[in-house]
Amino acid sequence: MNDDNDRDIDLGRVWTGIAAEVWRRRPGRVERLAARLLRSPGLARALLTTPSLLLPWLISTAVVFGVGGLVNLVGGEPSVWLLAPGLAAIGIAYAYGPGVDPAWELASSMPVSERMVLLVRAVAVFAVNAGLGLVVSGITYWATADGLHGAGGHAAAATAAAVTFAWLIPMTAVCALTLAVAVVTRSATAGALTGVLAWGATVLASQVSAGAFSAAVTDTATYLPYLAVAACATAVIGYATRTPRRIQ
Amino acid sequence: MNIELTGVTRSFGKNKAVDGVSLEAGPGVLGLLGPNGAGKTSLLRVLATVLPPSSGEIRLLERDPGRVADRREIRRRLGYLPQNLGYYPAFTVVEFIEYFALLKEVPSARVARAVAAAVERVDLGAKAKSRLRTLSGGMLRRVGIAQAIVNDPDLLLLDEPTAGLDPEQRVGFRALLRSLGETSTVVVSTHLVEDVGAACSEVTLMDTGHVVFRGTPDELVARGEGHGIGDAPLERGYSAVLQAARAAARGDGVAA
Repeated sequence: MNDDNDRDIDLGRVWTGIAAEVWRRRPGRVERLAARLLRSPGLARALLTTPSLLLPWLISTAVVFGVGGLVNLVGGEPSVWLLAPGLAAIGIAYAYGPGVDPAWELASSMPVSERMVLLVRAVAVFAVNAGLGLVVSGITYWATADGLHGAGGHAAAATAAAVTFAWLIPMTAVCALTLAVAVVTRSATAGALTGVLAWGATVLASQVSAGAFSAAVTDTATYLPYLAVAACATAVIGYATRTPRRIQ
Repeated sequence: MNIELTGVTRSFGKNKAVDGVSLEAGPGVLGLLGPNGAGKTSLLRVLATVLPPSSGEIRLLERDPGRVADRREIRRRLGYLPQNLGYYPAFTVVEFIEYFALLKEVPSARVARAVAAAVERVDLGAKAKSRLRTLSGGMLRRVGIAQAIVNDPDLLLLDEPTAGLDPEQRVGFRALLRSLGETSTVVVSTHLVEDVGAACSEVTLMDTGHVVFRGTPDELVARGEGHGIGDAPLERGYSAVLQAARAAARGDGVAA
């Protein structure tokens, strides 16, 4: 090679470098934080593409909670507890899976674990719904607490507090059941329907057996069954998403 | 060998989509031909580790995909274009390819350059910032090919990659395949025998879940000599092999 050739520039390589800089997408603050926490930029990006964490879905969830809070303030009936498990269940059912995630088959062939994607998305949706529910519950509880103290004293306030905050346990059970059904049937709709129907049936059964819809969240005797359902559903999810072994 | 299959079967209920397939492949471009329902897509899904086999042994890139750590390593070195590429309509071309580069665990520092190189290789530079919902079917197919090659895979699996590409793009794509096949194992499932003739060093023909022919495109052409069905030599070879295989399956005494 002569001197001219030695000085040749690989224009293709240069252009690729320029294109990489021009097209580079800087991850946002939330994505950078998620990548650091999860120790995986891929998992962080997968988390941020969760269908039921996208803005339209979040707005509609916040609106439903807001309406529930207003109903509570105006009518005096706590309703967030009734909404929260159902809303979270629907969000979790639509967090991941074939038919929900357009690139699900492609994502299934990736080294980032499918189970991890499912887990972080479910936890994130649950956390968002729990957070929104707690904020609205807190606002409505503190707005009505004075009235409760005046009318019936501490017992009434304690019941109201239980109704306001104790829905987290049934919500965990309903979400786990929903996710288990969605994973096993590979249908988000089947999961969401099961979760909502199961929660509705539980609330109705509380009215029949204890004479109050709110017994579904205030009756401490129900906590153990809720936790048992959550544990069983988690086991089912674990089994359904297990590593496929070679079958000889 | 990058692909080693021994007696691999994949069943869906009573239907055996892949039935006792044994196959070995090293670097090069392997064309996977066969009629609809032959089992090509199921075999590609098994190779892509999306579906576990119902029975049989698989080794990919000299690893066992049944083991978690091995499978993760295989997937890092794998490129896969499914028959139906699901995509996020609001993503741009670059965002989509970058997403899969990240999921393939391409080191963060290399992602931007790898994405740019993949976009350029499929000639989509002018559309790099376009939203996927605005692209034609052929362009989306090229986006799918770009995500498959973004990690410079050692094993590349492409299911109907030329569907929707115009003739000029197909010619360019075949050149890309030949270049990728110099260092990697590329498996291309297709209905288009001209793709096989132009780009593949070897051909595997499947029917009803079985491999009924394995050889070079020239050997497939030779099987069709004197056979009347088909416009092109490869098509005649394809038809002749299928007819012979089906006759043998019926017990007509004609060797496949």
